[in-house]
Amino acid sequence: MDFNDPMLALSSWIGQIGDFGLDLVWRFIHIVVTLWHIVSGIFESVESYAISLGLIQKYSSIDIEKLKCLAVVVDIEAARDVSKVIELLQWLTTIGVKQVGLFDSQGLLKKSKDMILEMVPRSVLLQETGEKHISPDRIALEFISSSDNKEAVVKAANILLEKYLKSIHPENGVGENVFTESHLNEALRVVGESVHVPDLLLVYGPVRSHLGFPAWRLRYTEIVHMGSLKYMRYGSLLKAIHKFTGVRQNYGV
Amino acid sequence: MNTREEVGEFSKLFNGFMTLMRRFIFKVLCVGPIPNHISFIMDGNRRFAKKHNLQDLDAGHRAGFVSVTHVLQYCQEIGVPYVTLYAFGHDNFRREPEEVKCVMDLMLEKIELTIDQAISGNLNNLKVIFIGDLNMLNERLKAAAQRLMEVTEENRGLMVVVCVAYSTSHEIVHAIRESCVKKCGDGDSPQVLEVSDIEECMYTSIVPDPALVIRTGGRDRLSNFMTWQTSKSLLHTTVALWPELGLWHLVWAILKFQRMQNYLQKKQELD
Repeated sequence: MDFNDPMLALSSWIGQIGDFGLDLVWRFIHIVVTLWHIVSGIFESVESYAISLGLIQKYSSIDIEKLKCLAVVVDIEAARDVSKVIELLQWLTTIGVKQVGLFDSQGLLKKSKDMILEMVPRSVLLQETGEKHISPDRIALEFISSSDNKEAVVKAANILLEKYLKSIHPENGVGENVFTESHLNEALRVVGESVHVPDLLLVYGPVRSHLGFPAWRLRYTEIVHMGSLKYMRYGSLLKAIHKFTGVRQNYGV
Repeated sequence: MNTREEVGEFSKLFNGFMTLMRRFIFKVLCVGPIPNHISFIMDGNRRFAKKHNLQDLDAGHRAGFVSVTHVLQYCQEIGVPYVTLYAFGHDNFRREPEEVKCVMDLMLEKIELTIDQAISGNLNNLKVIFIGDLNMLNERLKAAAQRLMEVTEENRGLMVVVCVAYSTSHEIVHAIRESCVKKCGDGDSPQVLEVSDIEECMYTSIVPDPALVIRTGGRDRLSNFMTWQTSKSLLHTTVALWPELGLWHLVWAILKFQRMQNYLQKKQELD
């Protein structure tokens, strides 16, 4: 009995030292990973600067026609700084992008819609012009938030439910098949949602995550993480768009 | 001891050493938060076959299956409770019929092998579930998948969700249909759908949303996979093709997840 107590204390003590040692190794690994990210960030900044100055030949011309619809996801903290969003849109206008969907989960950019439309030259609201009627010298903007994601699908689903209920045969209790992708697309349009699938989604925030962008529209969209909006770089934007124009989509085939 | 025996002994020692190293690495990794659910978009099997001049139509996919066994073993050792594998998409049925048949036959072969392992107790308590539009599978494959699910139903280890004939767009439409039919059948409740009604009817309602999505093959898209469930997920892409995915790729992805965990948790609380 007496022999067990010191043994238990010793093994507990060894266990604690072991855990402390593992903790130290874990922290050390994360320091190394952070240093790697810092160094890699410096290289990216230098490359981005070189691209902005036109020093890297391959980025000097971009086939912008391939990019029909661009979406930009902005982290909530970044969305509060509307001036940076306006600057980004001005860059996109310079590059020649014709249609941009701006998303933040809380709808802060939706609230600043009027200011953004006023400050970005030749910008129009997409809902007013429709996708097919954008003049070549304009940029059409769409403002999206989380309410356009799951809640919008639920509203559309309720339209389909209503249709289904109306079509139920009294004899067999079975309704018409109104549950197809095209029916859902139509119902989403009825509730005022765009069903256009962006070709490219740029994420400005700490993490590569689409942060709740409408799921129905995200199926084959290329998702690129651009880092913080506060430290955004024109060269990185050009690089991301250029990389997209080289992508080959096979849509699962 | 002759040379063959010496090589065999050395091989055993080396494997033992590598296993110890791996367990130590995982012990260190587990000091930090581990993703509750990791989803894998297993892209790159065909490019792997082309890269290594493998002639058989299913060669890349066979190599991909080996990768599946390693990844599941690693996830189990790390202690990840849920893993989802995007095995075959709805849109993949539009590939050449010979290739589709090849993949289906390979899946059948591997499922039957896994059933044998489960029955003989060599599956490490894995629970396997197949989700997707299983009516698109041939009868034999569908029956085998059902059998594997039955045989592993009582297992309480790592839950492996295999997405076959799956796509987010199909899942959403299917969930809407099921929830509408359910609402019609339930005369007492109001005839209005909520988000929870639809989410209950989704194929993936059996698992929590993924914390980490890993896509191999270097592509930056989700390819119609779990776009509804990944609003708070870290999306990680690696240029390694699926059969090339190894221990260090997984460790790197988890380290990245651990670095971003504070932000992801704050976002979850805000929402």
